[in-house]
Amino acid sequence: MSKVQSAAARCAADEWKTLPSGLTVIVRPMPGYSGAHCIYGTRFGAIDRCFRLGEKEVTLPAGVAHFLEHKMFEDEDCDAFAKYAKTGANANAYTSFDRTCYLFTATQQIEESLDILLGMVGHPYFTQQTIDKEQGIIGQEIKMYDDNPDWQLITGLCECLYHQHPIRSDIAGTVESIAEITPEMLYACCEAFYAPANMVLACAGNITMDTVLAACDRAGLMQPRTAPVVQRLMAEEPMTVLQPELTVKMAVAKPCFGIGFKEQPLAADDVRTEVLYDILCECICGGMSPLYRRLYDTGMVNPGFDGEVLKVDGCCCFLFTGEGDDPAAVKQELLAEIKRLRAEGVDEEVFTLCKNVKYGGLLENLENVDNSASQIADLALAGQTVAQQIEMLAGLTKADADAALQRVLAEERMAFMTILPVDGSEE
Amino acid sequence: MDLNSPQNVTRTRLAPGVHLMTAPAEKFNRCRISIHFAFAAKRETATAHALLPQLLERGYADCPDMTELTKRLARLYGADLSVEGRPLGQNHDLMVSVTGIKDGFALNGEQLTREYAALALGVAFHPYLVEGAFDPEAVEIEKAMLKKALEDEINEKRIYCTRQALREFYGNSPAGIRQGGYLEEVPGLTGAQLYAAYQEMLRTAQVELIVLGCGEETDAVCDALLAELAKIDRAPQPLADWIFMPKQQPVRKTETYDLVQAKLCMVFTQNQKAAREELDACRLAMALFGGSVTSRLFLNVREKMNLCYYCGSQYQSFTGSMMVNSGVEPANAKIAEAAILKELSDLCEGEITADELEDCRRGLLAAMQGVEDTLGGIEGWYYMQVLRGEELTSVEVSRRRLLAVTEQTVREILRRFSLSVSYLITKEGEVTL
Repeated sequence: MSKVQSAAARCAADEWKTLPSGLTVIVRPMPGYSGAHCIYGTRFGAIDRCFRLGEKEVTLPAGVAHFLEHKMFEDEDCDAFAKYAKTGANANAYTSFDRTCYLFTATQQIEESLDILLGMVGHPYFTQQTIDKEQGIIGQEIKMYDDNPDWQLITGLCECLYHQHPIRSDIAGTVESIAEITPEMLYACCEAFYAPANMVLACAGNITMDTVLAACDRAGLMQPRTAPVVQRLMAEEPMTVLQPELTVKMAVAKPCFGIGFKEQPLAADDVRTEVLYDILCECICGGMSPLYRRLYDTGMVNPGFDGEVLKVDGCCCFLFTGEGDDPAAVKQELLAEIKRLRAEGVDEEVFTLCKNVKYGGLLENLENVDNSASQIADLALAGQTVAQQIEMLAGLTKADADAALQRVLAEERMAFMTILPVDGSEE
Repeated sequence: MDLNSPQNVTRTRLAPGVHLMTAPAEKFNRCRISIHFAFAAKRETATAHALLPQLLERGYADCPDMTELTKRLARLYGADLSVEGRPLGQNHDLMVSVTGIKDGFALNGEQLTREYAALALGVAFHPYLVEGAFDPEAVEIEKAMLKKALEDEINEKRIYCTRQALREFYGNSPAGIRQGGYLEEVPGLTGAQLYAAYQEMLRTAQVELIVLGCGEETDAVCDALLAELAKIDRAPQPLADWIFMPKQQPVRKTETYDLVQAKLCMVFTQNQKAAREELDACRLAMALFGGSVTSRLFLNVREKMNLCYYCGSQYQSFTGSMMVNSGVEPANAKIAEAAILKELSDLCEGEITADELEDCRRGLLAAMQGVEDTLGGIEGWYYMQVLRGEELTSVEVSRRRLLAVTEQTVREILRRFSLSVSYLITKEGEVTL
């Protein structure tokens, strides 16, 4: 690692501790900042739909992880927002395909806010009545995404690419699937996935490890806990595509499109390949690529056209999405560009510049308390550190990208989705 | 020591209508140089000014090619060049901004800050011209993009509903100028018209140079800006004053589409110009009504009535108006509208508990304390003071003012609001307002 890389890594001087309960605690003190951001995350997300907990096999309807995230804010007395209101902290939570995170930002009474965070996740409380109540709110959240073409493209492509994998279902589920949720299901999820050994507490900003450890002590997290034996169960997923084409209609002004490629799943800790795939997307259709320029200048896409990599346990795919009058023509252009790059190799300059941008992005995240804590939590849940990321990035080469191109983005593993406009009317 | 002035942020007048705002911003890994051009929006140049940011952002005289410019930014470790136009009541603000990592993090010892300055000034003052006008090829491409963006506003139903509501609310008032551009005018725009609008901006705008975390380079950036401005026959004009829309009978409109969730946007007028000294009280009023998770709209309309996933209020000081946005089940649109009005009425006439007022106040105080934890936060907080025509005061002054706001003041502020427009985007065949 160079001197400058070391300087960057010093900014990410995280302190790590694994507590007797199994909880991983990471703290990045940031001198000069007023606020602290804390994230309490578990490796439990929307794709965890079937698991064995001891002798019991649990199968969940779509949307349980997200539903549980909402319900975790309630206990017998009141909801956690009411408690946070007494500290002034700004609290929130989110659920992704493979994790659920609870967080707050605070500039005062940080200890008290930590107690609320650790307490709400450590003492779940569900009844059928409170579950029924939440269905209306989450139902509206689901319906909000139903009208969002960008989100529909991602979920539609996953439905096309995968036969069995739970990535096919929306993170929030459907109005029908969340109606099946019971308190027993939620308690089973807590027992299986909210055990400290499956969780990470990441804090950054105006906060110290001592403060965090004291809060963990108050929450009983310094005591040894027996980690439950959990086995995630997932149906066998073939490498074929379920449905190569899908067209739907929505209230949009212009056609929107998505082009997805199904890939071999990556190991949980294979962040290197994930970053390499990200860079590959940039080389193919990012702002420095000839393809992007050609499509942009001819008005075939709008500035939102881009590619991304979706990687979770048992699933990895490239997703290219955008908007334009002639989606089929964009698909042909994309395939031609992939073919060209496969034959000629990626542009070395663009590849190096993409690495530059990633390095800058890491540093950017290090200067903001919210992003810092998110970065620590994300990497820790994937078993990595920022310093490892910087070093890994430095080691990526054009040859890696060229080799990857020979095995990914195959046309026979491609799905193509189009959203066509329907007419609106005015009263 | 003046306790009312910010400790780390200073603002100095460089020339008529030109100011420099600086902060050492030492704790950050990145630095930021922004040049703001603020001016009264005009109907006749609104579409040209809507297109200018895209044109400026895609290249400039030293680097006319869009792809090359993207590469140049990537060489600067992914420095962020941003050119944005935004409406501020009757005024328009165009910002050219470059944010990037500090020199100490450059892997090859590059003088990054100098490059950021050259880039920001180049983009702001040296656009790529062909025969004295913006490059016709770039103009045609960006016109097509703007046209698409204006046609596509229906894709984001929430934003579309808000825009339609505000169009109805402002009507032909100067605050109603569509600063995002008029679709029908886009095809006719020429490079020469755009250049004329750009030059007029350089000549008449209030210019604010904001330099954060650039250390010793700050003076050089400042000198370079003054050298650029010296080449222009400057005649800076004052910004347009705050405005308000008079009280009216509520107008209710409904549009129908093939969608799942209805969007409701309600716009209220204060029926008087907002008072600068009441801003912190307005913040508290909003937090109590619909701007926080301890607000009445969140706790009652969302949590108790389960009518929506989001339901929140926002205050707009430049136009003395308030907007409430919500996404609801189409069949419940009328119920939601009534519930929102009831919550406002309850706050105006019913009890406000000390607990709920203090909860809202506490949340705002805590958020204010963190304003200087990001470069964007520093720029946003202090530049808004400039645009509001205030002296620069520290966050602490606002915190003190907020602490002094009484329940009675909050109630008085909320009592001024009356519904002007209620706009609904809903499913075909569903209830209208």
